[in-house]
Amino acid sequence: MRIKQFARNMGVTLLASSAIFALSQQAHANKKLDDLSEQNTNWVMQTKDYGSSHFSDMYQINIQNVHKLKPVWSFSTGVLNGHEGGPLVVDGIMYVHSPFPNNIFAIDLDEPEKILWEYKPKQNPAARAVACCDVVNRGLAYAPGTKDYPPTIFQDQLDGHVVAINAKTGKMLWKIENSDISMGSTLTSAPFVAKDMVIVGSAGAELGVRGYATAYKIKDGSQVWRVYATGPDEDIGIGKGFNDANPHYGQFGLGTKTWEDDAWKIGGGTNWGWYAYDSDLEMLYYGSGNPAPWNETMRPGDNKWTMTIWGRDVNTGKAKFGYQKTPHDEWDYAGVNYMGLSEQMVDGKMTKLLTHPDRNGLVYTLNRENGDLVNAFKIDDTVNWVKKVDLKTGLPIRDPEYSTHMDHEAKGICPSAMGYHNQGIESYDPNKKLFFMGTNHICMDWEPFMLPYRAGQFFVGATLNMYPGPKGTLGQVKAMDGVTGEFKWEIAEKFAVWGGTMATAGDLVFYGTLDGYIKALNSKNGEELWKFKLPSGVIGHPITYKHNGKQFVSIYYGVGGWPGVGLVFDLQDPTAGLGAVGAFKELAHYTQMGGGVMTFALD
Amino acid sequence: MTLKLKIPCLIGAALISGCAANAQPDINWVATGAELKVCAAEDEMPYSNKKGEGFENKLTRLLSKNLNRKIKYVYWDDPRYFVRDYLNKGQCDVVIGVDAGDPRVLTTAPYYRSAYSFISREDDDLDLHDWDSDVLRSVKRIGYIPGTPSEIMIRAIGRYSDTFNYNKALVGFKSRRNQYVKYDVNKIVDDVASGKAEVAVLWGPSAARYVKASTTPLTMTVVPDNATRADGKKVGQHYSTSMAVRKGETVLLKQLNQFIKQQESDIEDLLEAEGIPLLSKS
Repeated sequence: MRIKQFARNMGVTLLASSAIFALSQQAHANKKLDDLSEQNTNWVMQTKDYGSSHFSDMYQINIQNVHKLKPVWSFSTGVLNGHEGGPLVVDGIMYVHSPFPNNIFAIDLDEPEKILWEYKPKQNPAARAVACCDVVNRGLAYAPGTKDYPPTIFQDQLDGHVVAINAKTGKMLWKIENSDISMGSTLTSAPFVAKDMVIVGSAGAELGVRGYATAYKIKDGSQVWRVYATGPDEDIGIGKGFNDANPHYGQFGLGTKTWEDDAWKIGGGTNWGWYAYDSDLEMLYYGSGNPAPWNETMRPGDNKWTMTIWGRDVNTGKAKFGYQKTPHDEWDYAGVNYMGLSEQMVDGKMTKLLTHPDRNGLVYTLNRENGDLVNAFKIDDTVNWVKKVDLKTGLPIRDPEYSTHMDHEAKGICPSAMGYHNQGIESYDPNKKLFFMGTNHICMDWEPFMLPYRAGQFFVGATLNMYPGPKGTLGQVKAMDGVTGEFKWEIAEKFAVWGGTMATAGDLVFYGTLDGYIKALNSKNGEELWKFKLPSGVIGHPITYKHNGKQFVSIYYGVGGWPGVGLVFDLQDPTAGLGAVGAFKELAHYTQMGGGVMTFALD
Repeated sequence: MTLKLKIPCLIGAALISGCAANAQPDINWVATGAELKVCAAEDEMPYSNKKGEGFENKLTRLLSKNLNRKIKYVYWDDPRYFVRDYLNKGQCDVVIGVDAGDPRVLTTAPYYRSAYSFISREDDDLDLHDWDSDVLRSVKRIGYIPGTPSEIMIRAIGRYSDTFNYNKALVGFKSRRNQYVKYDVNKIVDDVASGKAEVAVLWGPSAARYVKASTTPLTMTVVPDNATRADGKKVGQHYSTSMAVRKGETVLLKQLNQFIKQQESDIEDLLEAEGIPLLSKS
């Protein structure tokens, strides 16, 4: 305290030393969040912790007693659309968010029957029309208080704004515009807090939005850095040393050279997914999404750096490595998915790893210090657009039969445009060294059309039909070794497992299903031990926390998002909702819309 | 050489330029012959709508009288499939407007030929002659419809990327994947009138009535038929329009051809009243 006072009062003459002091404060703030994430009483990030383990070492609820799990309280958000993400729990308060209009409710866990505070933003209603696949929001972020700011909740809003809210009072601290909906850009992702910054993504690749990630100061929302997915190296944050360890991934000038003319300006590559952070390396990890426009014939080239796994210096945004998974995407395999960090043995050496189940149906495990490709394997043996990934070059070996070229009607492409893995947050059990994955087992026909009209006009587009994959159901849950690519067990789910998994030291894996169950499996063998039917289907992820010595499990219900788009907008045509309606037409017989949170505990 | 066509039917100019709709058939007249099933757009103005407000609806009335046949409209809502799902399936028998020589159908002799046209505000007095005009490189926004020759030319002059967003905004950011996305020509013309876009490049017949109705005086400049892509291939700017029947329906085709020949000047009057820039058919 005394030192703080001193630094503040010294004014300009001691600018240098106060700057050093500020740095140490940043590190401290960062560590505080890291520490909170290790405490069982909290669930402070969407990803649970910086490594995105989504794993709790609690075992009060375990394979012996999970069958006795019962709902103890519930809360409706009053919003019917799809509820992605999960609630946060910090210091005895649960923070619940809703899809558009993006309301936030704080609930005191001592008195969950009443609302502590609520925040209801006013947004530009035009944002609804711009969002492609329901008006979802993937959740809130939290930063512990420092001398510069109180404990703060961050939220991305559909109309492109980012807000900071006092976690104690619900009062707005600042609001900035990150994305312009008049340019087709929306925000659906969850912000991510690292050091004294909050990292925000972008959405709307399909509409020609040039994707970017931005770091803002927690204190006041001022911009620290912004890096793009396409364009000149300096815009992308590529400089000396980039991909030094793997020059064959590509190095300089490719953000423009791999595009025709200036097509990179509308090249997409938005990042609306998840982040992970290594506080020792001070590196941030995330994926950039699909290139634009979606019609691949209109953008010849590799379209770098869309579809890329980034490892960046969190302080500057500068890229240390970038690995493009799907050069010249033809299927809309937006690469923004889960980034799970682990430390495992590779070739006899303990190695810092990053494992990423991509929408393209491949799982990539990289050395997260330098980007070395450790392994790349199919999440399911039915993936067919690609034969394998050449680990030497990093390139996928494609099967031209499943290409979507204009002159080719492709049948039975696996995965569909939804990917075998979409936005779900997965879990990693460090004791078992296993990742638990929920998948979409959905394939598609892609029929390009170019139909004459009049005066030389053609209608150019494609019709997508999606349907269950070869194994007959729409979803799976799998236990996977990210290094060897071996699957320890796998079970089938009737519908896609859209929201992801949460694992515990009680040998359990929890997840929600589209038809509205929360389930617990034995994480050793996949055996189903417990399930409970929720008021509506699930597209979010479960969390767990301890309160007054007791372990609780919470989950959002509220079907919607891309898989539920038929329900949300009452669509009938099987090709509507970018083809999702066909795949999920059964869903309406199992569940209907309705959003909220439900909490479970043992007696 | 450039063709410049000032639309003579601006508000207040109707009397002197004689562009009152004199080609309207007598509305009290009732056909007595067998029903003729005409494939028509439910809502694709200015061609056709359910209220019969399009210029192809007017042509259909003219045809009805000529053949002495009652008209039964069979409406479609997705222009991608009206030949496949309506005409070819026998749900209807006549299409009023297709490109002459459309290989999917039998087409009549062309009844008009028109052109893609630059539309701009008269007051702006833009130096706009063809796709090589410098002004197309400096204006901020250019309205056009994807899939038309204008899109190819927008790419050829390097304006595709920076006008992409405006183009998407015109349809509320709807994706053309899995669906027909309708571009409202009236809205694009209005954007030129209001200054939101400086230039639009549209098929003349589709824009004519909106240009004519605009309270801000607009100029329509016919695009000369000399445009080429980057690789030197010609990009057609002038097209002839015909009526069409199913393949094999030669009797009906003959009747339509007769109508087009007999009432050539009535048809021309009707199209002129619409404000359509008409080129020589030969």
